[in-house]
Amino acid sequence: MATETAVDVVMPQMGVSVSEGTITKWLKSGGEEISADEPLLEISTDKVDTEVPSPATGTLQEILSQEGETVAVGTKIAVISPEGAPAAEAADVPEPATAQAAAESEDASGAEGETATAEPAQEAEPGPAETAEARPSPQPPPAGDGRGDKAFVSPVVGRIAAEHSVDVTQVEGTGRGGRVTKKDILAFIDSGGAKETPAPAQEPAPPEAHAKPAERAPEPATVQAATPAAPQAGETVEPMTPMRKGIAEHMRRSLDTAAHVTTTFEVDMARVVAAREKLKREFQEKHGVKLTYLPLIARATIDTIGDWPWMNAEVRGDSIVVKQYVNLGIAVALEGGKGLIVPVIKSTEGLNLLGLTRAIIAIADRARSKKLLPDDVQGGTFTITNPGGFGAIHGTPIISQPQVAILDVEALVKRPVVVTDDDGNDSIAIRPMMNLCLSYDHRLVDGAYAAQFMRDLRERLQTWDESAY
Amino acid sequence: MAERNAYVLNLGVTPYMEAWDLQRSLASAVSLGEIPDIVIFVEHPPVITTGRRTNEGEVHVPPGAEVDLVETDRGGKSTFHGPGQLVCYPIFDLNRHGRDVKKYCRDLEESVIQTLVAFELEATRIEGLTGVWLERPPRKICSIGVHISRWVTTHGYALNVDLDPAPFTDWITACGLEDAAFTTMARELGRPVAVNEVRDAAARALEEVFELRLEPFPADDRAAFTVQAGSAASA
Repeated sequence: MATETAVDVVMPQMGVSVSEGTITKWLKSGGEEISADEPLLEISTDKVDTEVPSPATGTLQEILSQEGETVAVGTKIAVISPEGAPAAEAADVPEPATAQAAAESEDASGAEGETATAEPAQEAEPGPAETAEARPSPQPPPAGDGRGDKAFVSPVVGRIAAEHSVDVTQVEGTGRGGRVTKKDILAFIDSGGAKETPAPAQEPAPPEAHAKPAERAPEPATVQAATPAAPQAGETVEPMTPMRKGIAEHMRRSLDTAAHVTTTFEVDMARVVAAREKLKREFQEKHGVKLTYLPLIARATIDTIGDWPWMNAEVRGDSIVVKQYVNLGIAVALEGGKGLIVPVIKSTEGLNLLGLTRAIIAIADRARSKKLLPDDVQGGTFTITNPGGFGAIHGTPIISQPQVAILDVEALVKRPVVVTDDDGNDSIAIRPMMNLCLSYDHRLVDGAYAAQFMRDLRERLQTWDESAY
Repeated sequence: MAERNAYVLNLGVTPYMEAWDLQRSLASAVSLGEIPDIVIFVEHPPVITTGRRTNEGEVHVPPGAEVDLVETDRGGKSTFHGPGQLVCYPIFDLNRHGRDVKKYCRDLEESVIQTLVAFELEATRIEGLTGVWLERPPRKICSIGVHISRWVTTHGYALNVDLDPAPFTDWITACGLEDAAFTTMARELGRPVAVNEVRDAAARALEEVFELRLEPFPADDRAAFTVQAGSAASA
């Protein structure tokens, strides 16, 4: 039984003079998996909020003290069933915890390390210490769609909304807690969200269909209403994890924000293949690192970005913000289909091939072992995704906001291609070919710019000059 | 007791979010032992920040006011930051300072009280109302809000040096305190006071209370953190 091995989570001792703490936020909900040391909840003492890490790896079996409750130090507030122990059935999970989870949205890429707070407005002043048999909180579950916060906007946003007759609750907020920032509302208006904004002339949609906010695709948060869908015959239903919800929200928001266009280039990788063959052994023997194609392609991409700076930029309101550094995001699929995370390697423009190889290996390992620090997933300026490892030959990746481009590295395959010799004679040869697909934001980058960037990237790879690395 | 080396970083006027990104980045480094404790001094353009325990009714900004609104992960309720206020973010590993959140808050208050002594202002604590106050009648001069992760602190205090304190009452119910009065050093002293002038006293008080020896954050180390700062700086 799980109870034999379960690990109790207790209200920690936050100082000799501290006898109790108030639970301000559970960062995990019942039934969710958690690693040792991963933040589990936040408690408040005096004017200090403290993140409490999980004491064990396993599944959060039960939450015993709800948000807003003040309990004595040492009180059991949750139970974790360790890895391997049978997890509690979903039905055992206390209702408020589930509802709370549904109200949370967590950015999958952790781009800003934010978690939304949808705390019920209630007085959280420390009350009398409660004993171990802490009663469940009588508080009603927070609004399931987490939208309650949205009316809570800065005056600047309020004014812009009024000027453009925008209903702020229809704007996707990227601020903490899903709040609508000035940037969000400007982007919303720019994207034609405001009713006053005429549809672009080339837009084929009939007038009644033009980006009316209410008619946009339902948002994940709404899909995640607190009541789970009832399973019908032949179906199984499970709650989305916060990461899944975060990915859903982030992907949807990116498509609603950027004007996505994808272009594909075919690259003859013969020289890269040769270079890797040559370096592979040296890297393994001298440095103990396994050299894949990814660092070579990444290195060439970073160099090419140097010549095409808008690929490494951001649309911020009406401004184009070009980054002087390349913080490279590498999309990492978590094992078992558990999701996707995009750790970021900072300032890659200063790394040589070995340094970049090491950084990619280190950060991918940290991502898979859930050891990423908040900083590891923040501040990306360009992303590479690598589905080619599974054999994919074409893709249309979604940009990680607020970046403007993402490069999709496809499978390396031998293909018959027509080659022309020095005398102009054509013949068919077997060449190691790879497709590179670039999705870019047409709000900033035009087709010619993107194509020239890709042309130069292809040139760098096809004429790979190892002395340059 | 032996003093420990720590860094101090004067950011000048910096947007709230930018400083917050930098805080988090530095907190990771402090947590990993890559850098010693560090103190950030900064002034923010007008911004209202809310804490985990802010009630919605606390914020009532008039339409059109030029102020940003940021929800943070610090303890405490809503507050206002603006130019003329000395904001101090000590990023300390409390494993080295007693692992006691209440003691940490009292120590922060003590450092502010000592800072004010240098200007011949006699400030005090009020039981149950974290922050630093002048008395008869009680008026708040410094607000405190802290976040801790793995015993590493972020956020800190905001000392009203020379600014119009009206936003504390007109725009928000600061700290959730109805009817609380807010004051500034300039108002109490009856003369203009520069934030720079207070900053040095504040640094000395922190050295004294936390037994630190502050030295400027070396440029080499700082370069490693300009990524986050830079990304927000172009805002």
